Amino acid sequence: MSVLRSRTLRVLVSVIAVGAACTAKSEDGDGVERKTPMAEKSQLPATDDFGDSLRTGLKPLRIVSLNPATTEILFALGAGNRLIGRTKYDLWPDSARLIPALGDGIRPNVEAVLGTKPDLVVLYASEDNRAAAGRLRAAGVSTVSLKIDSIAEFRRGVHMLGAVLGDQARARSVVDSVNRTLARVRAATAGLSKPTVFWHVWDAPLITIGAGSFMNELVEIAGGRNVYADLPAPSPAVSLEDVSKRNPDFILAGPIGAAQLAADPRWRIVAASRAGRVLTVDTLLVARPSVRLGEAALSLAKLLHPGAIR
Amino acid sequence: MKRFHPATWLLLIASLAIVSLVAIARGAVPIPLGAAFDALRGVGDMTAIAIVRDLRLPRVLLGALVGAGLGASGAALQGSLRNPLAEPYLLGVSGGAAVGAVIAFSLGAGSDVVITLAAFAGGIGAVFVALGVARAGGRSVRADLRTLLIAGVIVGAFANAAIMVALASAEPNTVRGALWWMMGSAADATWTGVAWLGASIAGAGAALLYWAREIDVLALGEETAASLGVDAERAGKRIFLIAALLAAATVAAAGLIGFVGLVVPHIARHLGLRSHRPLIVAASLIGATLVVAADLAARTLAAPVELPLGAITALLGVPFFLVQLRRAA
Amino acid sequence: MITFDDVAVRYPGARAFAVGGVSFAVPRGQLTALAGPNGSGKSSIVRALLRRVDLAGGSIGLDGRSIADIPPSELARSLAVVPQREESAFPARVRDYVALGRYPHLGLWKSPDAEDMRLVDAALRQAGIDDLADRETDALSGGEWQRVRIARALAQSAPALVLDEPTTFLDVAHEMAIFELLYSLARAGKAVLLVSHQLNLVARFADNMVLLDAGKVALSGAPSEVMRADRLEQIYAWPVVVTRDAATGAPALVPLRQPLNL
Repeated sequence: MSVLRSRTLRVLVSVIAVGAACTAKSEDGDGVERKTPMAEKSQLPATDDFGDSLRTGLKPLRIVSLNPATTEILFALGAGNRLIGRTKYDLWPDSARLIPALGDGIRPNVEAVLGTKPDLVVLYASEDNRAAAGRLRAAGVSTVSLKIDSIAEFRRGVHMLGAVLGDQARARSVVDSVNRTLARVRAATAGLSKPTVFWHVWDAPLITIGAGSFMNELVEIAGGRNVYADLPAPSPAVSLEDVSKRNPDFILAGPIGAAQLAADPRWRIVAASRAGRVLTVDTLLVARPSVRLGEAALSLAKLLHPGAIR
Repeated sequence: MKRFHPATWLLLIASLAIVSLVAIARGAVPIPLGAAFDALRGVGDMTAIAIVRDLRLPRVLLGALVGAGLGASGAALQGSLRNPLAEPYLLGVSGGAAVGAVIAFSLGAGSDVVITLAAFAGGIGAVFVALGVARAGGRSVRADLRTLLIAGVIVGAFANAAIMVALASAEPNTVRGALWWMMGSAADATWTGVAWLGASIAGAGAALLYWAREIDVLALGEETAASLGVDAERAGKRIFLIAALLAAATVAAAGLIGFVGLVVPHIARHLGLRSHRPLIVAASLIGATLVVAADLAARTLAAPVELPLGAITALLGVPFFLVQLRRAA
Repeated sequence: MITFDDVAVRYPGARAFAVGGVSFAVPRGQLTALAGPNGSGKSSIVRALLRRVDLAGGSIGLDGRSIADIPPSELARSLAVVPQREESAFPARVRDYVALGRYPHLGLWKSPDAEDMRLVDAALRQAGIDDLADRETDALSGGEWQRVRIARALAQSAPALVLDEPTTFLDVAHEMAIFELLYSLARAGKAVLLVSHQLNLVARFADNMVLLDAGKVALSGAPSEVMRADRLEQIYAWPVVVTRDAATGAPALVPLRQPLNL
C-alpha cells in the first residue's frame, strides 16, 4: 500500500473526507442561472447548520475560521485582515498562510481557539464539531457552523457569512461573480460532446467521487460525465476492475496520483490509462467548494475540452 | 468423533481449486469461463489478459497464501498453547505489525516494500516484547506458555492504543487508508507481493511442518512434555515464533484479517485430524479456500463498492462462537 | 539407579528452600515410595527430575550420570514420569494418546513400526485399559484417565518410572491393580519411584520408604522402620497409632480422632 505524501493531495483528500463525513446531497440548482440573488434578510435561515441562532450584523474583529472553504469566503468578503486563526489546510490566498494555524478543523482544541480571544468562530458543521461549537458558545464566543459540500451550500454559506459580517451587498457580489463564471463555463460546454471521466482521489483504497460531492457537479458543469455519478456517496471506494468496465474517456488525478497510475502496471486494464489520457488537476484549486469554484470549473473545462474554451 | 478419511484430502484440494477458478473467472468485467482460461494462457483480448493475469490471478494467489499462512499459524498456536481459542492475532502480532506500518507512514515512507518490511518488523517485535513480558511476569518456574498468551493480548492492546494516538492527528484520508489496511484487503496484490509472501509462507511453513510432532507432545501439557524429553518452554517459544512469522507475513501483505486462524483449525479437527502434521496441512488448505472465497465475496457482494476482506472474515466469527457455545453447554 | 545426592531446590523469590538437601536412592528392582505432608517437597523433587526447576544444590544421577549431562530425548528413554495432573486440551483417541509415549524413541519423523505398536498394546494391557483403546480422551472417567496416563508412561518402556500420586481417583480395585502393577514392574527390574499419600498401601507394597518433612528427609528405610508412630505424629502434627494389620501383617497407620472445640 503506498501512501501519498503530497501536501496538495492531503489538502484535497482531507476536504473530500470531510465531505464524506456527511451524507451530502447535491442540491444542485445550478441548472438555472441565478439572476435574482438571494438578498432579502427574510430569506436567510434563522439558524446555522447546527441549529444555533444566526446573529447578524456582528462586525466581528477577531475571526477564527476552521474550514478552508469559509476561510476563502471570508477573504473574498474582505474580512481577511480580521482573521486570527485558520486550519492548516487553508492555503489560499497566499496571505492566509500568515495566519496562525489551529489544527485541522475537526474536533478543534477549544482551549487553543479560546486562547486567541476570538469574537467569532466559523466551524464546519460535522457531528464531530458539535461539542466544540457548544463549548465555544458557552464561553461567550459567537459561532457559525456551516456545511459547505455542494455549490448550492456554498452560495448559502456566502450569504450567511455576509449577513453575520453585516455586508450582504459584498456577499451578493461574490456569489454573482461565481455564478457568472459557472454559467459561462456551462454555456461554453453546452453544445460539446461530454467525455466520461474517472476522478482518482486515493489509491489504497481506490477512492473516487460520487454524486454526493461538489466535484461531481464541477465535472458536469465543465462538460463531462462522472462514470460514478450513479453512486450517491461523496467518496466511495471502488475496484480497479470496475473502473476498467466503466471505461472512462479520461482520468482526472492530482500530480502524485497521476505518477502512481503511470507506475502501476495493473492500471493497464483501464483504456484511458493505457492511452495516456490522464489529466492532472490542481488539487488546491478544485478541491474545495469555495470562491474559486468558477475558476475550478473553468480549469476542468479546459482540460476536458482543450481549445474549445476561451 | 469422526475418523479421518483419506479421501477428504481430495475434497480439500478440489474445493480450493474450484473456488480459485471461480474467483479468477468472476469480477466486475464479465469474462466468460473459456475466455478466462485463454487469458490465463495469454491468448485473447489484451484487456482480458491483463485483468486475469495482472489483477485477478495475483489477488487469488495472495488470498490463498494468506489463508494458508493463517490456518497453519492458528493450528500450531492452538496446539502448542493448548488453547482452542488461540489465534495469531491474539498474540500481539497484528497490533505490532499495524504499529510498524503506521510508524512507516508517519515517517514519510512511500513505497510498498518499506511499509511491508516495517509491518513485518513490528509484528516480530511485538512477539519478542510478548515473550519478554511473559518471562517477567511469569510464574516462578519458567515463562509459562499460557502467560505468553496473556502477554500477547496485552501487547496487542497497547499497540492498538499506540495506533489510535498516531492516527489522532493524522489527516482524514490517512485515517481512512489506515482503517482500510487494518480491515484487511487483497486488493493491492502485485506479483512481487505474492512472491515475497509465497517465500515467507513456504519457509516458515516448512519449519512448522518439520517440528509438527513436537506440537503433538506440547499439547499434552508441560510436565508430560518434559517427561517425553521436550523442553516445553523452548519448544513452545520456537513454535510461537514460527507461527508469528507466518502471521506477520500475512499482515504485511494484506493487512489484518481476523478469525481465519481461529476457525480453520477447528474445522480441520472436526474432519477427524489430530496429529499436527496433517492438521497443519489441512488447515492451510481450508484457510486458503476460505480467504479466496471471502475475497470473492468482498469484491462482488456490494459491487462496485469494495468491501474490506477482514469484515467478511469477521462475520465468520459469529456462527463459530455460536457453535462453540452450544458445544460447551 | 536414580540417585538424589544432597538435592536442594529453591524457587525464585522464595526465602526458604523447598527442598533443603535430600539424599536417597531409587534402586532397580525395587519399589521406592516418597511420602510426607503437603508442602514437604515431594512435588519439587518430581519437578527437579523433569528439569522444570533448577537445582540450587546437589545433583540427581541416573545410573551414575548426572541428569544435567543427559540430553533430554535420551533421558526420556531412560526415565518416564507420570505427573500429578495432566489435562488434554483437545480430545484424542486413547490409543493415539498412549502411542505418544513412543516419541522419545521415534523423534520428529520416524514412523511407529510393529515393535512400537506391540509395546503400546502391552502398555494398554498392563494399565488395564485395552477395552478403552478406541475411546476419546474427553469421554473418560477420572480413574480411566489416570490409567491412560500411566499407560503412556509405560509405553515409553523406560527402565525408570516415576509416578506422582497416580491413584487419587481410583477405586479400591483399580488402585490395588495399579499397586500390583508397580510392584511387578519393580520385580521385573525397573526402578520405580512412587509419590503417594497412601501410607498404608505403600507400607504393604514398597521396598523402601522415604519420608520428607519440610524439605528434608525425616525417615527412610524399610516400611517397618519408617512407620513409627512417634515420628509420624511429629511429622504430620496429628495423633496417630501404628498397628500391625491382622490380615496382611503390614504396619498400618491409624490417625486418632481430635474432635474440634466449636
